[in-house]
Amino acid sequence: MRFWAVRLGSIGLAVAGAFAIGMLAQNSGNTVSRLIALAGLYVTLAVSLNLINGITGQFSIGHAAFYQVGSYTAAFLASQLVARGIITTTGMPISWVLVAVIAAAVSAGLAGLFIGLPSLRLRGDYLAIVTLGFGEILRIIIQNTNELGGSYGINSPKAFVVPYVWLLAFLCIAVCRNLLQTAHGLTFLSVREDEVASGAMGVNVTRIKVAAFVIGSAFAGAAGALLTHNEGFINVNSFTMDVSFIILTMVVLGGTGSITGSVVAALALFILPEILRDAPAMPLNAILGSLVGIALLVGVIRLAMDNKGLGREVMGARLWLGLGVAVGGAIVVSIGTNFVPALANRTIPSAELRMVIFSAVLVIMMLLRPQGIFGHREFGLGKLFPKEVKA
Amino acid sequence: MSEALLRLDEATIQFGGLIAVNKVSFELQKGELFGLIGPNGAGKTTCFNLVTGVYKPTSGSITFKGKAISGQPPFKVARMGIARTFQNIRLFGALSVLENVVIGGFLRQRASLVSSLLYMPGAIKETARLKREAMELLEIMDLADSANSRSCDLPYGKQRRLEIARAMATQPDLLLLDEPAAGMNPQESEDLMMTVRRLRDDFGKTVLLIEHDMKFVMNLCERIVVLDHGEEIARGIPSEIRSHPEVIKAYLGVEE
Repeated sequence: MRFWAVRLGSIGLAVAGAFAIGMLAQNSGNTVSRLIALAGLYVTLAVSLNLINGITGQFSIGHAAFYQVGSYTAAFLASQLVARGIITTTGMPISWVLVAVIAAAVSAGLAGLFIGLPSLRLRGDYLAIVTLGFGEILRIIIQNTNELGGSYGINSPKAFVVPYVWLLAFLCIAVCRNLLQTAHGLTFLSVREDEVASGAMGVNVTRIKVAAFVIGSAFAGAAGALLTHNEGFINVNSFTMDVSFIILTMVVLGGTGSITGSVVAALALFILPEILRDAPAMPLNAILGSLVGIALLVGVIRLAMDNKGLGREVMGARLWLGLGVAVGGAIVVSIGTNFVPALANRTIPSAELRMVIFSAVLVIMMLLRPQGIFGHREFGLGKLFPKEVKA
Repeated sequence: MSEALLRLDEATIQFGGLIAVNKVSFELQKGELFGLIGPNGAGKTTCFNLVTGVYKPTSGSITFKGKAISGQPPFKVARMGIARTFQNIRLFGALSVLENVVIGGFLRQRASLVSSLLYMPGAIKETARLKREAMELLEIMDLADSANSRSCDLPYGKQRRLEIARAMATQPDLLLLDEPAAGMNPQESEDLMMTVRRLRDDFGKTVLLIEHDMKFVMNLCERIVVLDHGEEIARGIPSEIRSHPEVIKAYLGVEE
């Protein structure tokens, strides 16, 4: 009884949360509304790739391909519906959006099966290359298929999908979290840890790898369908290698295997460049100076992290010294740059600056916390309110 | 005469020009403590890999409980009732001690993947049952107090014991131990000997083990087969093996 009460309660909460986010988006401007939708899609993409990469340990870097399969499935379905006069180009009824989401999940899941099966014999870098190649091949095939819009792209009727985007994200998080709570989840982790030992324990390694690929890509496909109807127009440029890499970065930055880590990293990495869009143009020497300063500071902190044995005073003194060196270095570089003719009096426009800052943040993160934000761990309310330890 | 539990019949495997295991035949009766020894590179671990399905024999056959198992994938062999440990410890390092043993018991769980993904009552109950059984096994193997430590943080001797516990969690009929006493001090290997004997006496397991520690093998095993260069050179009870001229020659070389 209690189980079902909790279950229904949490489902209700998730639905209410998703529609609350939807309301928020509806009351915001078009740009913000679109960003809220895209943020939810990236959460789904990162969490579903985390299932393949982080939990099952299969290094796949072609996640955008499954996103693309789903997206084009939805677009193709919509074009067929329009051609048959079932819907109009002005708007897509939500019931048809849900059909499109399911169709996209199925077709992306099949693509996951298709790429998963031959990849089972491959490990590590070899698997990475195959998944990368799959993504590129698919993109180029679509680019040259006129029925799918070719390199121009394809129009689809729009719909207000924000609540469903977040519902999908919550579903994806719930499914991964459920899995890790059960013995089945442990076998996914055991495949990551040691395939040979897993086999010797009676774990069907093949089946688990395929399951991870199919589930992960089905979620990516569903996200793709929602992207299609959120944007109203898609083309192959939305699914380049960069997209795969940014999803992968989210998983690694969050801490491979950690669901909460993927969620936090997905939101952070998606929002950061958007905030930086408004950054003012800055002079080059100031940028170079601060980069050098940050680099020195990070180096000092790393050294301090490695020498935990030292006393507090010594550490403190070294940190202050390091800070001094960093600030000094920054000033020297920014002034020094003025004497180099090629670099003097240059400014960097904000559009390019934001990518510099974005990359710098990533490099600093990986230096200071190579295991990712949460490492292998999860963050939950239990961490805030620790249970009493039984003696 | 009762049916043998495991029977190797002229099992042979060839890697290119190298015959790693050449026409090795032996039988294990239920409840035996059986030793497989030989100098380095004799083909002992390859024999284990043949039995557990890691390799498929080039010729010859392997039968377990009267069924041919050669060519079956390792996970199927494990499900038929053969569990093993590894020479170079292969634990699931990032997982806890308890979780390692739960994975060993996984082949007996009945919940479907879908019910686990939806966290249905069936999956919850099965997981709880496996955890309970794993905890009982950890008590028996004297590992209960480190149940929640990461398995890679355990000291070496405990890691070896955990590997045996994990193999036991599959509830096998036959347990293959690959150098269980390697790297242990005399006290630890003494304890291990007691443990292995208990696995047979109290739990009715049949044990086939590879070991270099002669004292360990001679005191524990009832029958021994000696391999050298992939071929059997001797077999018998420990006292016969100890004085067998071929065995002495293989281990110590021949006097000029």
